[in-house]
Amino acid sequence: MPQEKVYTTPNAALADVQDGSTILVAGFAGHGVAEGLLTALSEGGKQDLTIIYRHGPHGESGAGQLSVLDRLVSNGQVSKLVSPIPFFPGNGGAIEERWQAGLLEIEVVPQGILVERLRAGGSGIGGVFLPTAVGTRFDSGQEKREFPQGEAVLELPLKGDYAFIKAAVVDTLGNAIYRGSARNWAPVMAMAARITVAEAGRIVEPGELDPEAIISPGIFVNRIVSAG
Amino acid sequence: MPAKLDELIMARRVAAELSPGQSVALGAGLPAKLADVLPPGAPVQLLSDGGALGYSHSSSGSKSGSPALAGPEGESVVLERGGSVLGLVDWAAMLRGGHVDVGVIQPARVTASGDLIGWTTAATPGLFAPGRTVDLAAGCCEVIAMLPHTGSDGTPNIIAGPSPVTDGRGCVNIIITDIAVIRVEEAGLILTEVAPGWSYDDVAALTGAPLSLADGLKEIAPSLEALDAERAGKVFSDGPSAIEDLYDGATVMIDGFGGPGGMAHYLLVSLRDRGTRGLTIISNTIGIARIVNFGTPAGKLAIDHSILVENGQVAKAIATYPVSPSASRPSTFELAYRRGEVELELVPQGTLAERLRAGGAGIYAFYTPTGAGTLIAEGKESRIIDGKEYILEQALTADFCLIRGHKADSQGNVVYKGTSRNFNAAMAPSARTTIVEVDEVVEAGELDPELIVTPGIYVDRLVVRPEGFSPYE
Repeated sequence: MPQEKVYTTPNAALADVQDGSTILVAGFAGHGVAEGLLTALSEGGKQDLTIIYRHGPHGESGAGQLSVLDRLVSNGQVSKLVSPIPFFPGNGGAIEERWQAGLLEIEVVPQGILVERLRAGGSGIGGVFLPTAVGTRFDSGQEKREFPQGEAVLELPLKGDYAFIKAAVVDTLGNAIYRGSARNWAPVMAMAARITVAEAGRIVEPGELDPEAIISPGIFVNRIVSAG
Repeated sequence: MPAKLDELIMARRVAAELSPGQSVALGAGLPAKLADVLPPGAPVQLLSDGGALGYSHSSSGSKSGSPALAGPEGESVVLERGGSVLGLVDWAAMLRGGHVDVGVIQPARVTASGDLIGWTTAATPGLFAPGRTVDLAAGCCEVIAMLPHTGSDGTPNIIAGPSPVTDGRGCVNIIITDIAVIRVEEAGLILTEVAPGWSYDDVAALTGAPLSLADGLKEIAPSLEALDAERAGKVFSDGPSAIEDLYDGATVMIDGFGGPGGMAHYLLVSLRDRGTRGLTIISNTIGIARIVNFGTPAGKLAIDHSILVENGQVAKAIATYPVSPSASRPSTFELAYRRGEVELELVPQGTLAERLRAGGAGIYAFYTPTGAGTLIAEGKESRIIDGKEYILEQALTADFCLIRGHKADSQGNVVYKGTSRNFNAAMAPSARTTIVEVDEVVEAGELDPELIVTPGIYVDRLVVRPEGFSPYE
């Protein structure tokens, strides 16, 4: 029964991805990027994808994330990116080129707002009033309201069709733990997607993980592939 | 012109602004250098959106086998003793909830009124990448802008403003550049320090906004002496001293799930002994039953919220389960409620958890489908979003929070055991003063940083439950 979540290859785990899907891609500065899943997605050729992700900061460590996403974008598979940092100007590769050419839509959302919108999407919340954007360039016509704490902007939930996360260890029920910066977006994206696919450094039997240490319970993880 | 300060001296000058015990969120660029200049074991905690709380660039106090962690530049960092690993949800909540004392940001421009422009570039008209900047600017109690005084072409980075677009309105408190330290005051910019050899006139000529001169202009010579101190201790000797400032009329969050398992029983008894009155209690139950032989050892009564109600200390409860499981054996609170002695605000359990989280995470209110169309919705705004009905629920905060942990380290990092985790992770960040009763306090660095559930940033006081303390009386 539990084995049902384990897929033999990334391609098998992504067989039902459709054109037009929204995909949440976890990762921070090269940590916790499900490279195998992203590679399978770029080889699968699906079109009109919306990708929600955060670009890695400068430096080598972020290069992996850029290159796989770059490939997806330069393939013309991506129609929209949602990100706090979609690319670094002048060094943005295919993402910058296609955006400049009007072939790629980019929605920029500050990091803490994006993460809270995903959390709302994952926890069935219809919207949250956050003070973050008030008075900034991201305060642009959304509903606003005065609270005893001050003014706040209504931020709406975000969800994905798929989330690609990378975990250190996943048991066959989908319970996942992370290491270091790989945690980052992964738990919240796992909550916010209809189908969460975990690329696992190691797959173990149920009961092998310390139940107090599990960060993403298996209820949020639908498919598991080995990072190989 | 005299020489400008190098990046490390600038970083030292920023570090000189810090006080022991502060938490400091760093942005990319120059601020990341702060981790290079802080003395080993400095009593401050650096926060990176890579998920490191309490990190450094060297490994002064870290244990081997530190997890792979990234700083704001994507650079590899190590955890100091007492550091912990976070996900981004926690990072954002920490900032927005006002738990981070100082944010250090390198903006492209700062205005005279403290507006901050993250980065603008002619190469990407219409597109701005704020990353973490907006979150730091909005959330940190104090914001230090750390930037070169001018662009490479000599144009001032400090401008008169107001700026039509900003990434943080009026948020900057101090500007530290490669030639000056400038305070952002109500009246405008005040030059307080200059780099060696620079004069007021030199700096003013490179500043795009009016600059006042502070009494006694100083030369920048950062001293980190203030950081040569111990962190204030969080461990209190006993329950009464841990709550000695808990006052009449306070709002108090208390943990507990279904009876005597894993509550802060010792602190509850301390609070009863203190006799503080007029309390508003926020909790799941408000005492289930104080009845002999009701799931308790023979002849014993369970210690729970009921002891405060019995003692006439409770004025109001905000709770999900204010009654006894048995209609024939009402709880102390039920009886007091029927007598009209206490007020009650009833909240569904999941909504209580979410309202608590909102309180600690700087979310003012949220729409939830829970309770829509029921008695719970009375008097609340209802709204259809995407064809589904939601009601608006408000954040909850408190003056004090009394919860039970299993183990804590001396910096207040807490792990729980089993069901006692429950509401605690949501409550700890939502109170002004959070007091945790634990079985054991260990040295900082002894808890696995990946397993810490409540980071010490949320915990003000620790008290060890006396050995042999019984949750029954």
